Amino acid sequence: MINIFTWASILLIVLMLMLVYRIIVGPTVIDRIVAVNVIGTKSIVLIVLMGIIFDRLAMFVDIAIGYGLLNFIASLAAAKYFKKHHRIDSKNITATEHTAKGATNGH
Amino acid sequence: MLLGIETLLLILVLILAVVSLWIRDLMSSVVVFGAYSFLMCLIWTGMGAVDVAFTEAAVGAGVSTVFFVAVLFNTTRRIQFNPLDLSAKIFSAILCIGTGYLLMLGLSDLPSWGDPQALVNTNVSKYYIESAYKQTKVPNLVTAVLADYRAFDTMFETCVVFIAVLGIFMLLKKDGREPLKETSAKANDNLIIRVASRFMVPFIQLFGLYVVAHGHYSPGGGFQGGVILGASLILVAMAFNIEFVKQLLSIKRMLLLAVIGVIIFAGWGLVPVFLGQSFLDYSAWAALLPGTGEIMARSHSMLAVEIGVAITVMCGMYGIYMSLVSDGRFDKGL
Amino acid sequence: MAINVLAVILFAIISQTIHHPTVQLILNILIMASLGLGLFFFFATSVGVLRFPDFFTRLHAAGKGDTLSTILILLACSLFSLKSAKTLDQTTILAAIKILLIINFIFIGSPTATHALIEAGYNSEIDPWENNATRN
Repeated sequence: MINIFTWASILLIVLMLMLVYRIIVGPTVIDRIVAVNVIGTKSIVLIVLMGIIFDRLAMFVDIAIGYGLLNFIASLAAAKYFKKHHRIDSKNITATEHTAKGATNGH
Repeated sequence: MLLGIETLLLILVLILAVVSLWIRDLMSSVVVFGAYSFLMCLIWTGMGAVDVAFTEAAVGAGVSTVFFVAVLFNTTRRIQFNPLDLSAKIFSAILCIGTGYLLMLGLSDLPSWGDPQALVNTNVSKYYIESAYKQTKVPNLVTAVLADYRAFDTMFETCVVFIAVLGIFMLLKKDGREPLKETSAKANDNLIIRVASRFMVPFIQLFGLYVVAHGHYSPGGGFQGGVILGASLILVAMAFNIEFVKQLLSIKRMLLLAVIGVIIFAGWGLVPVFLGQSFLDYSAWAALLPGTGEIMARSHSMLAVEIGVAITVMCGMYGIYMSLVSDGRFDKGL
Repeated sequence: MAINVLAVILFAIISQTIHHPTVQLILNILIMASLGLGLFFFFATSVGVLRFPDFFTRLHAAGKGDTLSTILILLACSLFSLKSAKTLDQTTILAAIKILLIINFIFIGSPTATHALIEAGYNSEIDPWENNATRN
């Protein structure tokens, strides 16, 4: 039955590879944050699965608790970042800032 | 079969490392770097280096991404890129490729992974493995090596953390007379985040204390526990506001505590000097701690030293976050 | 959390004391079903994050599927570690309870992160996707 857990963890990593597509392509930052958030949660699961595969669960579960407690802090910080900086898309930053500068110069 | 998991993880890590350099937007780069840190932790877990994995977990998930975001919060996320100025880029590319080539040449001389006959594994680590439990009664070898055999290293690492927070604090500190750039919006109007943080923070702090105190038996120790405790303070600062967290631990008290942590470590090592032993030789504490032999004195001294490390690291993480996020003004943040 | 601990102890007692093959088969099926459902939901999450057209729909897939699949796989791990232990000692039970604690923390933390991200997207200039094909 250990074998099944090994296959499960390999399947998890392959599905994480699929998510990397969204990290590379993801049109905006916040799409990337979503994909990274999912990868972070799944690495908790992978640590526990590895603990079962290596038969050292009592050792590895502490790391998983640390992740489980701290995982949402980074997402929270990234989300709070957008309260001040409302622009999500990086491609429009240069354009809008240039127009804003031009407007102030014109006045 | 195990090779399958690790090969897949290494492929993922390589892809993410390249992507985090390739993306022009700094915010995306930081986010991708967070995923990179998650997967590095998994690789170290797979190698069985539990303490390193724990450090990566605590630092990567708790503080490093938050620090980067806090820096970007007060600066810009655009990369200044001048397409005409390529000379520096070409020079550094040549330098990097040359160094990489030399390193690759040296790679063939390295012993294979986990080779018991390698030079590293036959000299000093053999001594630690054979005698650490007999001499200190600490089952976790990494803690014994870090806090006892190589306590000199660890003491100066603690000093490095202290110097880092002091440097960032002094570089960024404003005297408060400058006008604020813009009036602060209501930063803490989100009920859901506040309630969830109110639920999580006690558990995070309890777990941090557990990691500090249980480092003798399980992965963890002063550094990891300190980072987790610092991350709980950062969470409070994000979910409520900076004024609220300053009531809990003011900036002045933060610096004072960081000094106290270093003093605990160095002072605990200095006491044996007065008892006629060498610096950081904990076995001399057996004369002062009643009812302990030399072995248990070393074991207990490690706990005391870890507490010092934890206090410094906790205040260090808190101080770095507060300096970065408020641009040295300590009035408002994320 | 008290319910978690009670459930773990109950499962441990059942799996270690009753050696009837039918009971053991049921326990195995429970573990396998939990693991399989978790993997299925994570597959659905991945496909959703990849295929959905805009940020809000992607986060809908990621927020729900991710939390549920994590909970299910961790539950399978916890039950398996209890069932496969040869003797039921303190370490095994403590590890199983710790895994259930992780489930609790994820159950609080992950939806909070999702909520914060949704709010960040809603306050910024992301246009929600509209199905123009059916409207016209």
